Amino acid sequence: MQTATAESVLQVSGLNVFYGSFQAVRDVSFDVRAGEIFGLLGPNGAGKTSTLSAIEGLIKPQSGSIRIAGIEVIENPLLARANTGVQLQSTSFQPELTVSEIIRLFAGIYGVEMPNEKLDGILANIKLEDAAGKRFGQLSGGQQQRVSLVIALIHNPRLVLLDEPTTGLDPQSRRQLWERMESMRDHHHSILLTTHSMEEAEAVCDRIAIIDHGMVMTVDTPQALIESNRANPEVIAASRKGKITLEDVFIGLTGKAIRS
Amino acid sequence: MQTNLPSTATVLSSLLRADFTTQWRNRRGVIMVILVPCIILISWKGLIEKFGGAFALSNCITVGLNAIGLMGYSNAIARDRDKGVFQRLRVAPVPTWSIMMSRLTVQLAMILVMSTAVFAAGVYFDKIVLTPAGYALGMIMAVIGGAVYLGLAQAIVGLIKNAETVTSTTRLVYFIFIMIGMFGEIGVLGKDIGTITKWSPYGTVKHILSSGMQPGNWDLQSTYALLVTLSYTLVFSFLGIKWFKWNSR
Repeated sequence: MQTATAESVLQVSGLNVFYGSFQAVRDVSFDVRAGEIFGLLGPNGAGKTSTLSAIEGLIKPQSGSIRIAGIEVIENPLLARANTGVQLQSTSFQPELTVSEIIRLFAGIYGVEMPNEKLDGILANIKLEDAAGKRFGQLSGGQQQRVSLVIALIHNPRLVLLDEPTTGLDPQSRRQLWERMESMRDHHHSILLTTHSMEEAEAVCDRIAIIDHGMVMTVDTPQALIESNRANPEVIAASRKGKITLEDVFIGLTGKAIRS
Repeated sequence: MQTNLPSTATVLSSLLRADFTTQWRNRRGVIMVILVPCIILISWKGLIEKFGGAFALSNCITVGLNAIGLMGYSNAIARDRDKGVFQRLRVAPVPTWSIMMSRLTVQLAMILVMSTAVFAAGVYFDKIVLTPAGYALGMIMAVIGGAVYLGLAQAIVGLIKNAETVTSTTRLVYFIFIMIGMFGEIGVLGKDIGTITKWSPYGTVKHILSSGMQPGNWDLQSTYALLVTLSYTLVFSFLGIKWFKWNSR
């Protein structure tokens, strides 16, 4: 399934993020390779969102380096963003704007020409040709996700950041999104995905980093993570059906305690 | 292969198009902002002989400026922040100043449209005709006065994160400004309230508007009112920018 090459599109090294005296991210390092779907997994409050926010340029890390397609994010945040597609967890657009107006707005922001034929093609591709004149707030959750994803890809970025993109979607929409992610990978986009769904991570991710208490605990392929933790007593204790799953590994490594 | 940074002009024109479209779709609110001062002006027809045309026009435009800043701008900013609209723009290659520049340009247009409508209503219904210099200076003072309320709105949105609390707070501030502003200055609320009103954001804006519409009557008090107005704008804007968070969470 993996077609990634060794070239890194995203390089995060020695990242540290503080909120006052609280350290949310501790010396986090990982890389996302070209044509790879990379999952960032962790319980609530583990540091996923802070790591992602630093990559998106929304917060300034206290130390460390983030490079997107060779661009240093902290030094060149706008250029780095021009090379990144983002789908935020709680993204919304002005509810008064229609789907086609939103697409045109972001095409303009990313400096992409958007003649009518191209817009029609995009809308047809996401099966929203009949909703072009609908306002964003009138769309279903799945349709909104498709619009968000189109906007994340409108400028053909090398790196796409997807923050819990399938939260709240029905199984059909979720499967469709997985297929779109795989199609994006086939088109040489690299994807950094955060998710709470172990099923999703196992289904689409080429590699996974498990993060907890602000630190990266392990990075590997889903299968390798399962194999290397098969004999881990905490993972065995977390197993519910006798068969070790990625979720068992996750619970074994991060603990059973519920996080706030 | 890297994607190049789009030009600021392209980004700004895209934002402006979207923000003007949003404003157009909210035209019921826009009409209210324009209608309320015009209706007040028409209903004050009997007072114009006593207090003068500039008094009536300046009061009505001040009411409109209050509405643009405190009811329109602040609520739109609070709502879009709450919905994550700003966060989505901030992860795009958009300089943050251009997001606010676009929003403020729409408000500037609103100020000009509302002021023009009040001037037109003054001519048509109340036969208040100013000199060309009076109209020009009145317009400039409306923009300067509008900046006070936009700054105040920014400070409120900066101080309060919750969109609903922003709405209720701005409504309260609007109501206080209008009621105390209109009645305080004519002395019905007592001398002290009259003095406070005179130097309040309502009073100074009203004063510079009134003086601007009659350039021959511009005096030292008008200059003081202008300086106080500019000071209010600076202080409110400074606090608004300092306190403002792009994310309400």
